[in-house]
Amino acid sequence: MTSLPSSSEVEQAVGVSRAGRRSHPLLRYLGIRFGISVLLLWGVTVITFVLANLVPANPAAAALGEKAASDPKVVQAFNEAHGFDKPVVVQYFIYLGNLLRGNLGTSTQTHNPVTEDLGVAFPATIELALFVIVFSIIIGLGLGLIAALRHNRFSDQIIRVFSLIGISIPTFWLAVAFFFVFFYLLGWAPGTGRLSPAATAPPHVTGMYTVDSLLAGQWDTFGDALSHLILPGAVLTLYTVGLLVRFTRSGVLDVLSQDYVKAARAKGLPAHTVVFRYILRGSLLPILTIVGLAFGSLLSGTVLTEQVFNWGGIGQYAYKAATTLDLPAIMGVGLIVGVVYIAINFVIDVVYGFIDPRVRVR
Amino acid sequence: MIRARRRLAAAIAVGAAAAMILTGCSGGGGSSGGGSGKSLVVDNSFDLKTSDPGRAFELTGSIVDKAIYETVLTFNGSDVTKPQPDIMSYVESNDDKTLTLTMHGKHYFSNGDPVTVDDVVFSLKRVQAIAGNPSFLLDGVTVTKKSDTQVVLTSATPNPALPFILPNPSLGILNSKVLKQHGGTDTKSDNAEAFLNKESQGSGPYMLSSYNVNTKVVFKPNPHYVGTKPAYSTVVLENVAGPTQKINVQAGASQVALDLNATQVQGLDGGKTKVIKGTSPYVMYLWFNQNSAIGAGVTNNQDFLTAIRKSIDYSKILQLSGSGSTQPGGLVPSMFKGSIKPDSTNSYDLSAAKAALAKSGYNGQTVKFSYPNDITVDGLQFETLAQALQSQWQEAGIKVTLAPGPVATVLDSYRNGTLQSGIMYWGPDFPDPSDYLVFSPGQSLGLRAGWKAGADATVTDAANAAASASGAARVPAFESWQKAMNATGPFVPLVQPGQYVVTANTITSVPLNPVWTVDLAAIK
Repeated sequence: MTSLPSSSEVEQAVGVSRAGRRSHPLLRYLGIRFGISVLLLWGVTVITFVLANLVPANPAAAALGEKAASDPKVVQAFNEAHGFDKPVVVQYFIYLGNLLRGNLGTSTQTHNPVTEDLGVAFPATIELALFVIVFSIIIGLGLGLIAALRHNRFSDQIIRVFSLIGISIPTFWLAVAFFFVFFYLLGWAPGTGRLSPAATAPPHVTGMYTVDSLLAGQWDTFGDALSHLILPGAVLTLYTVGLLVRFTRSGVLDVLSQDYVKAARAKGLPAHTVVFRYILRGSLLPILTIVGLAFGSLLSGTVLTEQVFNWGGIGQYAYKAATTLDLPAIMGVGLIVGVVYIAINFVIDVVYGFIDPRVRVR
Repeated sequence: MIRARRRLAAAIAVGAAAAMILTGCSGGGGSSGGGSGKSLVVDNSFDLKTSDPGRAFELTGSIVDKAIYETVLTFNGSDVTKPQPDIMSYVESNDDKTLTLTMHGKHYFSNGDPVTVDDVVFSLKRVQAIAGNPSFLLDGVTVTKKSDTQVVLTSATPNPALPFILPNPSLGILNSKVLKQHGGTDTKSDNAEAFLNKESQGSGPYMLSSYNVNTKVVFKPNPHYVGTKPAYSTVVLENVAGPTQKINVQAGASQVALDLNATQVQGLDGGKTKVIKGTSPYVMYLWFNQNSAIGAGVTNNQDFLTAIRKSIDYSKILQLSGSGSTQPGGLVPSMFKGSIKPDSTNSYDLSAAKAALAKSGYNGQTVKFSYPNDITVDGLQFETLAQALQSQWQEAGIKVTLAPGPVATVLDSYRNGTLQSGIMYWGPDFPDPSDYLVFSPGQSLGLRAGWKAGADATVTDAANAAASASGAARVPAFESWQKAMNATGPFVPLVQPGQYVVTANTITSVPLNPVWTVDLAAIK
């Protein structure tokens, strides 16, 4: 195990010269953050590869049928096709080389290039995650703000109980309950999948059916795709809203006692100016962090919810890959999850830098 | 301040209302669209990898390929005791080494091309060449074009199972002319799989309309199919987990649910749905390692094995497995030729079990019993059976430690012959008892239980006699082999679970078959 690089090493790695050190503090800050992200990404490739190959089972045996797995000719053909016949170290460098060319290997289960599978699964999850995060921000921030502004009053208590319920109920249980009640009993929303069984997917542009159907002007398909987002979206929104309410409430409460807020009120500024320009902005950093992490969590796959609603996203793909020992797919999912978190952290760092100048000169 | 808060609250209320309106704007409607007009939605828990018949050998792959591809021979409905002509009829030589296939009427691919003998030869040779999962089906078989109407399959050793193998959907006949234009060859370098996952090239009742290995496969009719036209103009085979299948079929979102277990089907026989009950062709069996280093003088002790067999209360196992389940007498499933009824070797007799245990010299050693805990066989959990067995053996004085694990790791260790004992299952590759000879000493399954070649001359002789028997002599030969296996072998046939299909009550016929599970085109 190697120790973490020093900041000067990182700066050298990303080509920050001494002249660069005198560049704009924001650019220097971005450069360092980017360099760290690249290193983290490499670390992710190592970790996913090592962990995937540590599993004490034979991928050929897992992928091939009973008879085929007993046939050395078939096993050899399988291993050759997937490169499993080479030493692990060689496999890693081949993997890394292919990775740089955008090739994540071929899934042993779907027989498709992993990039192709992820190209279908990831947009499905992005669509769901965007749906959830938009509503979660609107509802969560609003309720969190109300709760803080009405601290210890009845509405605060109600919102706190609501958020506690949202966080506490296991998502998979909620998914099953919503599916049963709103699909089966009440028939208010469609059950599984991203489109009705007989519906045809819109022409592929983004892979997000709501967006692609809009681009193609297929309004029926848009309505169908949107209606399929309701139940899995509601399940995940309830949890994310609960999370956001708690962080928003505590963040706003912290800011409410700050001198600059008191000063703003003392100056007689309108209440909405105080709330939006002073209180909300002042409490934005921790909220931003939790929004980013929640979004990352959604993007990295909400395995059980996707499984219940047969969403066909990255969570379901990861589940299938793990249970069938599909090493290229496992590594592909691991990598994309790593990329998502690294990218989100990078974006949060950058936004921090913009919002709070103190961050970039630390 | 109060006014500002009201504004804020109003803004939030508007936002929340907008959210509610947006989320609800397209309404639910419950139904996923199935069931209207001539469309059919079938729910299945996918194990799909490919629709390329030369590479597919999974249950879902068989369902898909049966709908798309005709084979040279077939079975009528669920009767697997007599192969029938499909694209070709057959004549077997007296020595079971030569099978002559003759074109049986005219057949057409979905693009209108006629099916020729060249297509048959190409398709069968391709399966052999690409070394995919099903390539073993034609091991040792030479495929030769005899004329424009005949193909000859020659085996070096007698191969009476061949007519039972040929109906397998993995041996579906492809349009060789089109396939060759898209990378298809009958050599190792074939790369037509991606093409076949987009465009089917068969002469079966359906053709691919859309294909997603993870979510759904949609079929539309082959306009040139010469058989009975299917009842549905669109069939959607969608990937749905068992519990969700139950709700879908109850809600009318699907018309057929294929993967429900005995518990899940309770209450579904009546009203809007009905239950078709059958017996699974899968045999769940126990094994006990005969390798002395692993068996430690316990699992490789004949008297201990007798105690094991006789201390199992098979009637209780059947109760746990649900209605429709059955106790196989041997390893060959009850619906295949050559199967046997349970006899005294696998009947519950606690006092006889205790006597055999005392004779074995067993002194309380703990036996490690392995099983997969992440899969089921027709909805039946291994865990349920393992716990019941542990409890029953305890009554006889046998101590067992349960060792669950993911199927990928348990299977790997089992295949390496390193596990002491456990429970596993065997599904038929083709409906012929010769598929089960691999359990004999020195064969691939026998070796997993540490049962080496020469370990049991009686069983080996019986296996050899069964393998070389032909005609009417095959059935008694396979019966004798199984009885010999039960007398001294390390395998205990335990149960064939019940198999259930739930349908909407508008469905009148769902023909099940142990080879391809369900023929989508025959659903009415």
